[in-house]
Amino acid sequence: MGEFWEVLRQHLPEFLSGFFITCRLVAISFVIAVVVGTIIAAFRVAPVKWLQRIGGIYVETFRNIPLLVLIFIFYFGFPETLNIGPWLAGTMALGLYTAAYIAETLRSGVFAVGKGQIDAALSLGLTYRETLQKIILPQSFRTVIPPLGNLIIAMIKNSAIIGASALAIPDLLKSGRIVAAQTAQTLASFFWAALGYLILTITATLVVRSLEKRLAIRR
Amino acid sequence: MDYLFAPDRWEWLFMGNSFRFLIDGLLVNIELALIAMALSLAVGLLLALARTAKKPMIKGPAGIWIDVWRNLPLIFILLYLSLSIPGSWKESYQDSVPSWFPEAFQNGRILAAIVGLTLYNSAVIAEIMRAGIQSLERGQGEAAAALGLPYWKSMRLIILPQGLRRMVPATVSQLITLNKDTTLISILSIQEVMRHGRILGSCLPFTCGVEVPLLQVFLVVGAMFALLNYGLSRLSKRLEIKQREATGIEVEKVTGLEDQVRLETDTK
Repeated sequence: MGEFWEVLRQHLPEFLSGFFITCRLVAISFVIAVVVGTIIAAFRVAPVKWLQRIGGIYVETFRNIPLLVLIFIFYFGFPETLNIGPWLAGTMALGLYTAAYIAETLRSGVFAVGKGQIDAALSLGLTYRETLQKIILPQSFRTVIPPLGNLIIAMIKNSAIIGASALAIPDLLKSGRIVAAQTAQTLASFFWAALGYLILTITATLVVRSLEKRLAIRR
Repeated sequence: MDYLFAPDRWEWLFMGNSFRFLIDGLLVNIELALIAMALSLAVGLLLALARTAKKPMIKGPAGIWIDVWRNLPLIFILLYLSLSIPGSWKESYQDSVPSWFPEAFQNGRILAAIVGLTLYNSAVIAEIMRAGIQSLERGQGEAAAALGLPYWKSMRLIILPQGLRRMVPATVSQLITLNKDTTLISILSIQEVMRHGRILGSCLPFTCGVEVPLLQVFLVVGAMFALLNYGLSRLSKRLEIKQREATGIEVEKVTGLEDQVRLETDTK
C-alpha cells in the first residue's frame, strides 16, 4: 500500500492539473454541444421540410460515427493554414458529437408535452409565444434534465479519448500515463487517475438521480 | 469546397486496393465487436444475476464491480490492460488461438482489447439485464416461488425468458456503442480500420502515384460506420416499439451512455 500513497504524494500536482483539464474539456465541449444541439433541435421541429431534413441528416451522421474518427477528421482534416490546435479540434469533435444526442433529447422533450395542452393554451387565447413560454418549455425542461445529465456522464468518459488520441492534451488519463512511465508504478498511477474519473462520473450520476426524483412529473 | 471535393483528392479511393484495405480493417472491428458482445452477454448475465440476488454478500460486491467498470472511460481500461497484462498470458493466447481466426486476432495484443471491451461492456450489459429483470411484475417471481420452483428453475423458466426479451432493443443499441468503441483499439497498435486509414494516409504521391489526404480517408471511414450503425439503430428502434406494443411496459434505460439515451428519445 505504501507505494500507492507515495505516488499520490509526489505527483499530486500532475493528477490535479489533469483532473481540471478533463473538467475544462468537458465544460467547453458541453457549451458547444448545447448551442449546436439547440440549433439542430430547432431545425428538427421547424415547420420547413428541408430544415427538418438537414437536422435529421446531422443527427444521424454524428451519432453513428465513432468519436475517434471525428477527432481525426477535425485534427488532420483542416488545411494547415487554418491552424486548428488540439484543443479546438478535440472540443469541437466531442461537442458536435454530443450535440446530435442533445438535439434529439430536446426534440423529444418538446414533443413530450401533449398536443392537447397546446391546443388548450391556444384556445384560451394565449399567443404562440406565451404558450411556448408558459406551457411547453417549463414542462419540457423537466423531461430533458435527466437525459442531459446522462449525456454529461458520457461526455466525461468520452473526453478521455481526446487526450489519448493524437492530440496529446494532458488530461487526467494522459497525466496518469505520464506518471506511470516516470515511476514505473502502473497500477498505482492508474488507480489514482481512475479515482479521478469515478469521482466525476459517480457524482454526476448521483446528481442526475436526485434531480430526476425531484423533477418527476406525475402524469 | 475545392479542398473537400476536388476530384484529385478522391482519386485514391479507386486506385488499387485502397477501398478493399479499409473494408478489411472494418471487418476486424466488426469481428471484435461481435466477439466482445458474445462474451459480454455471458459475463453480463452472471453479473446481473449476482446484482439482483437477495443475499447482500453477493449483491453488494456485484453492484460495486458493475458501477466501477461502467463509470470508467473505456480507453482508460484499454490502456491500463495493454500495460499490465503479463507477457506470458499473451504468449499462451497466441499459442492457443485457432489458426482460422483472422490475422489481427493472432497477435497477443488483441487480448487486452478483448478483455477490456468485455470488462466495460459486460458491466453495461449487466445493468441493461437488471433493468429488464426488474421490470417484471413482482408477482411473477412470487408465483414461481409459490409453485415450489427453486431459484435456478424460476430464473430459467419464468424470469429470464421474459426479462431478457425486454432488453433486446437496448442490447442492439449497445452494439452500436460497442461498434464505435472498437476504433479505440487502434491505440493498442492493432491493425484495424483506423490504423489502415493512417497507413493509407501516410502514402506519398511519390510511391502511390496519387495524393491520399487524411481528411478524405477518414470521411470514408466515417461513412462506413454511419451506414452500419444507422441500420442497427433502425433495428433497435423497431424492436423497442414492437416490444412495447407487446408488453405495454417501458424498461428503464441505463444511465450514462449516449446510445441508451438515443434509444429513449428515438422511440418517443
